[in-house]
Amino acid sequence: MFDVTELVQPDQGLINPSIYTDPEVYQGELERVFARSWLFLAHDTQLAKPGSFVQTYMAEDPVLVVRQRDGSVKAFLNQCRHRGMRICRADEGVARAFTCTYHGWGYNLAGELVNVPMQDRAYHDEIDKSKWGPTQVPRLHNHKGFIFGTWDESAPAFEDYLGDMIWYFDALADRYDEGLTLVPGATKWVIDCNWKFAAEQFASDMYHVPSSHASALVALIEDPAVLAEFQEQSAAAPGRQYAGNGHGSGFGLRPDLVPTQAGPDFDAWVVANREQIYRRIGEHRALAVNGHNTVFPNFSWLTINNTMRVWHPRGPGQIEVWSWTYLPKDADERAKQAVRTSTIRTFSAAGVFETDDGENWTEIQQVLRGHQARKTTFNARMGLGHERHGTDGMPGRVTDDMYTEMAARGMYRRWADLMSGLSWPEITERDKSRQQREQEAHLA
Amino acid sequence: MSKLAATPHTRTGVDVETRYEIERFLYLEAELLDDQRFDEWLELFDDDVHYWLPTRMTRTVRERDLEVAGRDGAAFFDDDKAFLAGRVRRLASGRSWSEEPPSRTRRLITNIRPVRLDSGEFEVRVNFHVLRSRAERHHDTFFGERTDLLRRVPQEPGFHIARRRIVLDTTTLLAPSISIFL
Repeated sequence: MFDVTELVQPDQGLINPSIYTDPEVYQGELERVFARSWLFLAHDTQLAKPGSFVQTYMAEDPVLVVRQRDGSVKAFLNQCRHRGMRICRADEGVARAFTCTYHGWGYNLAGELVNVPMQDRAYHDEIDKSKWGPTQVPRLHNHKGFIFGTWDESAPAFEDYLGDMIWYFDALADRYDEGLTLVPGATKWVIDCNWKFAAEQFASDMYHVPSSHASALVALIEDPAVLAEFQEQSAAAPGRQYAGNGHGSGFGLRPDLVPTQAGPDFDAWVVANREQIYRRIGEHRALAVNGHNTVFPNFSWLTINNTMRVWHPRGPGQIEVWSWTYLPKDADERAKQAVRTSTIRTFSAAGVFETDDGENWTEIQQVLRGHQARKTTFNARMGLGHERHGTDGMPGRVTDDMYTEMAARGMYRRWADLMSGLSWPEITERDKSRQQREQEAHLA
Repeated sequence: MSKLAATPHTRTGVDVETRYEIERFLYLEAELLDDQRFDEWLELFDDDVHYWLPTRMTRTVRERDLEVAGRDGAAFFDDDKAFLAGRVRRLASGRSWSEEPPSRTRRLITNIRPVRLDSGEFEVRVNFHVLRSRAERHHDTFFGERTDLLRRVPQEPGFHIARRRIVLDTTTLLAPSISIFL
């Protein structure tokens, strides 16, 4: 068994890189991190009508998320209880029922077993169908259209699980009167890297942008003089980072909502709807909270870049990225197309930003094949000791710069607490007293 | 497979000589990409080109027509000429880390099926298999079908690509990125 205190020392910003490679640690994560956390399942608009379903994953577990006839949503394991065959084999669609193709057990939209072929002859009418439906995801929560689920009955309520992160999440989720919709279809690709590289970067890492993405802006901006000025300005912009409950959000402060990356057609819509956005989330938050975000453990988005994704773990050395582009639901068609194309061009698997990230993560994972490399401590100490509270009236721990790894340390803190097998009440208690200590130290 | 031309066209076969010219053109294009002569490659595209690689998902037979994403759906590429030029600029920047050092690619373009539209343009479907080798041991393979709309031009090599629709046979891309062109 692994000893978590040997693996990460979050308060010191020290990481033993075997957490990215050890199969035993990975199995521990499936059980102690993913099976106990709130995971993103689907967006409301993916389930347009009764019978609409998507098949997603909770870590490695295939899960069907289904719109019910009464408008509610149910989610259950995509696994027949007879011999474990997948009961639905399409990625999404509209169904009236689900039938296992192996022996023909049939399930209704709620995931109840309703038909067993030859029930009388083969089972002598002795099977209690109510006991043999697929495993239900026992807790679902719809936060402003974003549907999350957890297997853990003892996990905190979704709002408590998010904590102050909800304020940062709502810079996206609560931004528009009519809410968000997704560009139809997920973009899915495979990167040979540990899931924590991706989740951590989206929680905590603005620092990689000037180096990793040095060429992305070359594609977007033709004039070298304009490019140089833009790069200088954006690197020098003041910024902030939030960390709490394992989540993270980081952003450069912007003087205006426009220009957006999507260009003039979307800018025009944003300007026309500026007052709406300010009324809903406040001018201060709308201008500030525009950057990278991770809800622990594996749901991330870039507020202003209109891309969100889940990093599905596939063993210690692989992830599947499932990404979506989101849009204001009531934007005009030109504005929607502008967002859609700009996000495809920058943050799809062929996007001029996205391709650079996969390159880094796969190379790290390759190097970690080495025995010596796996023993070599990683440095996550940026900004250590410079954590703040109440910066600019933003809730939670907020640094006064975006170049810090406070949220990375927070993510590994939550990871370590879960991995050491602490119960949810114990974790919540520890977090509270840590926060109190920090606040006192800050005031002193 | 949906067609690229905006309006319905009568499709007729092409003569052997035209077929030869089209094949020669597509092989030249593949060679320019494999040789990383991106500036020359870019010149093969019309100014109003649409270069598009929609996503694909697994659907039941009943919903098979929804398998490939439509014009308002998710995509890997959805470029115009200006953005293709931007990508080429990026590749030449020396800081495009997913192609610096560059990948080595090998393109197999086969089953070339040209038809003439009554507009005088050509619609050409091909099968492709693109192999990419990267760094020490990394290896990706991309396979599927391309549908091009070609226009004759007076200058060499005789055609411009006005539309390109690329459809991969994979749903989940088994590669860390598509940092090359298809």
